[in-house]
Amino acid sequence: MSTIRTTPLPAGYTAPDASGSKLSPISKRKLLPAGPAFVNHLRLTLHNGGSFSKHDEHAAKEQERLDLLNASSSNIEDDLGVGDEPESSELLALDPKEWKKQDHYAVLGLSHLRYKATPAQIKVAQRKKVLKHHPDKKVKATEPDTSLLTGLNLNTNDDSFFKCIQKAHETLNNFERRRQFDSADPELLEELEEETPTSLKAAVAAKGFIETFGPVFEREARFSKKEPVPQLGGLDASKEHVEGFYDFWYNFDSWRSFEWYDKEVNEGSDNRDDKRYTEKKNKSERARRKKEDNTRLRSLVDLTLGLDPRIKRIKQEEKAAREAKKAARAGAGSGASTPAAAPVKSKAEEEAEKKAKEEAEKAQREDSKKAKAAAANAAKKARRAERAAAEAAGTA
Amino acid sequence: MAAPNGTAEPTTESHNLPPVVGINFGNSYASIAEGLAESIANEDGERQIACALSFHGEQMYIGSPAKQQLVKNSENTIIGFRNLIGKKFSEITSEDITPNSAPVIQHPDEPDVAAYKVEVLTTPAALPTKKTQTPAASAAATPAPEPVPTDRILSVSEVTTIFIGSLLQSASDFLGKKIQGAVITVPPHFTPAQVEALEKAATDAGVKVYQTLEEAAATLITTSSALWAATLRADRTQLYVDLGSSSLSLSVVENREGLGHVVASSSTTSIGANQIDDKLVTFFAADFTKKNKVPLKVCPATEVQDKRAEAKLRLAIEHTKRTLSASPGAATCSVESLKDGYDFTGSVNRMRFDMLAKPVYSAVSAAVSDLLKSAGVDAHQIDEIVYVGGTSCLPGLDEEIGLSVGFPEDVATPFSMGTVVGGGIGDPTTILARGSAVQAALLHTLEEDDLRAAFSTSVEAPALGATVALYVPGAEAGIVALLKDTPLPARRVQVFEVEVTESSKAFGFELWEIEQTVRVEKVKPPKVVYSDDEGGADEDDEEEEEIEEKHKETKKVTLLGAATADAKLAIQTKGKGPDAGKWFTTVEATVVVTEAGALSFDVKEIGEGGAVLSIEIS
Repeated sequence: MSTIRTTPLPAGYTAPDASGSKLSPISKRKLLPAGPAFVNHLRLTLHNGGSFSKHDEHAAKEQERLDLLNASSSNIEDDLGVGDEPESSELLALDPKEWKKQDHYAVLGLSHLRYKATPAQIKVAQRKKVLKHHPDKKVKATEPDTSLLTGLNLNTNDDSFFKCIQKAHETLNNFERRRQFDSADPELLEELEEETPTSLKAAVAAKGFIETFGPVFEREARFSKKEPVPQLGGLDASKEHVEGFYDFWYNFDSWRSFEWYDKEVNEGSDNRDDKRYTEKKNKSERARRKKEDNTRLRSLVDLTLGLDPRIKRIKQEEKAAREAKKAARAGAGSGASTPAAAPVKSKAEEEAEKKAKEEAEKAQREDSKKAKAAAANAAKKARRAERAAAEAAGTA
Repeated sequence: MAAPNGTAEPTTESHNLPPVVGINFGNSYASIAEGLAESIANEDGERQIACALSFHGEQMYIGSPAKQQLVKNSENTIIGFRNLIGKKFSEITSEDITPNSAPVIQHPDEPDVAAYKVEVLTTPAALPTKKTQTPAASAAATPAPEPVPTDRILSVSEVTTIFIGSLLQSASDFLGKKIQGAVITVPPHFTPAQVEALEKAATDAGVKVYQTLEEAAATLITTSSALWAATLRADRTQLYVDLGSSSLSLSVVENREGLGHVVASSSTTSIGANQIDDKLVTFFAADFTKKNKVPLKVCPATEVQDKRAEAKLRLAIEHTKRTLSASPGAATCSVESLKDGYDFTGSVNRMRFDMLAKPVYSAVSAAVSDLLKSAGVDAHQIDEIVYVGGTSCLPGLDEEIGLSVGFPEDVATPFSMGTVVGGGIGDPTTILARGSAVQAALLHTLEEDDLRAAFSTSVEAPALGATVALYVPGAEAGIVALLKDTPLPARRVQVFEVEVTESSKAFGFELWEIEQTVRVEKVKPPKVVYSDDEGGADEDDEEEEEIEEKHKETKKVTLLGAATADAKLAIQTKGKGPDAGKWFTTVEATVVVTEAGALSFDVKEIGEGGAVLSIEIS
């Protein structure tokens, strides 16, 4: 719609009187049922009673709805929760030659997901980063403004971060290499460094047992070859859960490996012995680290077991149950004298009692098992006899 | 972690196009569009997909590969089936049947249903294997049963279903998702039964048909888009010239900001591009005979050799015609081994071609003149000519229509706007598909059921009886606010930069009903003065023919109202320009006419606290 320019009103102009004039009679037209204009016309006449102000409101709402519809369908690509992480200047200044030292997850903007990132997420993240940091785009974005500088390439070190991205993708996209990197994940190492028995104990005192060790085992669970990994659970976890937990973690089968720390075989030398020597060194170093890691985990589980308040609780519960049983037995046999004497028992006595009870329980269990087996046998025999009888009857 | 690396599943979709398409289903070519500027290409890379289906052995060909089969396998090749959809066998006349196609027969099982008979190879079902198998006499595997030739009967609607299915397949391959709905164009000569049959065939192909759209409506949508009408007025009268291979349909449409009303339309199946093809084939055949001394009789051909040569020529001239439409130079036509082993290469330039096609051109322009005359519309009242269909890409047609019907020189055509070449927005071959794609997307997102229902019923709207124009006192020419026949309710907004004087600051508007007519003037052509005196005596005897010259005229009929107001936000222009020292203010004038015919005219000075002026007529 263009603007039209008009001339000024002639001097002495007065608006002529036109009262009583009417529009020419209205005719009827059949409309072609087509196009956005037709929809607007229908909305205007059918929904808004021909009022343009109402229609404008509706149109704005409708536009909003359509925009939303488009956006939700796939205007904004589903990035699987990858998101956009801010890129610090240190990150952008990374040297691709030092790629072994870089944090590949941070380079791809996945540091909030780390080992939890799925292959699909890694793909999305890489694509995002490449779109942003591809050298072709960079040159355009930082083209010199002044004519004096045209033709000069001001972005000599431009693709270094792009190379870092490629290295990161190369590493994380390969299942084996990703495991190697995850084993030496810088964030994990940092956490392990800070984590000493004393610091853990202090944390338990400060935060509580579950709050301290829950995340620790969640973190360690990633290395398990077996799935699912039993987690610490709550303070009121059942005996079975606690026992299962310690059983699993004492027999933990880890895939953590230490190839990442391997010394590179000197490329230049063709010396076979040299290579073999390095390989041997690497192998023994890997084995050493692996052993170290296993020891670390074991001592961690030991520490946890030592600090676990639930063990105490379970023991107490067992004791209470036992005592209640005993009391019930005693009550039935000789009267109410024993419950009164119970509180004065020494610790040694308690222990002994507990042992006795455990044994008794064991015996009971065995007994019941035997009984069950006997019953099963008997039932089997009976069935066999029945069948024989039936057969005999049949032949007869 | 333990999940495998990588996945073949596409994780994200690359675009947000709705899974709907518009299909332009012509008799010889079809095209599909999804709402972008161009139509979708099928897997052969063609945007114009030939409506042909061919069976050869166990194979089925669709599109241009099927057309190639016309040369040697024409009895198993089905073309021109669109026009037969929904027709009973008894209704089909020999004119409807495209020659050189598979025979149309009465369906053996269903009464009065037309069907095509083709020969195909089918593999007989394997012999049932017995449970106790006798060991084979030899170690060699039992040979697979030989395919045997059998007759396959395909009803016209089955053929259509197969073809539309292939179009949808191409579209869903392009979009990467299954097509949910489609809008299909139907030509004006289709009977309701035919439309129904087409709809059913498409539904059988697995797509929901949102609407079967008149071709004029599809054209209206495309030509009302912002991209098309960027340089044109939103209110205009259009002439649609749709020249297909077998039919010509014309419509005069009053386009009022995208709302269309067909003033008059005509459709004939006696004019079509096939006639141009015949002429061109005859021309090249004569050329071949002249060059090689080999007799070649075509259109119609009687001998098998000649028939094959004609089929080859027909395929080859498609390319020749396209070259002629696209470039002003000569176009070649080459056929290897046209007849008796002789190759043929001939060329035709645009002038020769236009001479050949002249009878068709004149027939089209005569049809246009007739239509305008019957509708009582003068050629000068047409603001735009829109060409639809592949044949109307020919520039010669545009020239001929422009000259012989007598359109004004400033009439907008895709040729005058330069949008016809190279898949531009004015490309006549894609207009219908694009329009129906827009319609499909519109219906796909439409939520209100009552509005959706209105698309299948005919909607009548009251329309303005006369053109309303705005006049600024003191100026000669008015500005058309609302054209005659604008469907009501209607609203138009126009921004004015009003000049006021320093002393009075007053501005005003008058609202008039006007009449736009065409004044015909008889003018004597300027005398041609020859430098030599030879013909001097004859000149006086000759009756000077008078030429009609037409001029658009507007006449003020009734004054509807007038009002003045004093500007409050006028600004004096600074600087040294021609306007320096003058006072201007910007006002927005809105004209609204309600359904009942009440007019309200409001002028507002743009800005806070601006002056307001209004006229109300009930």
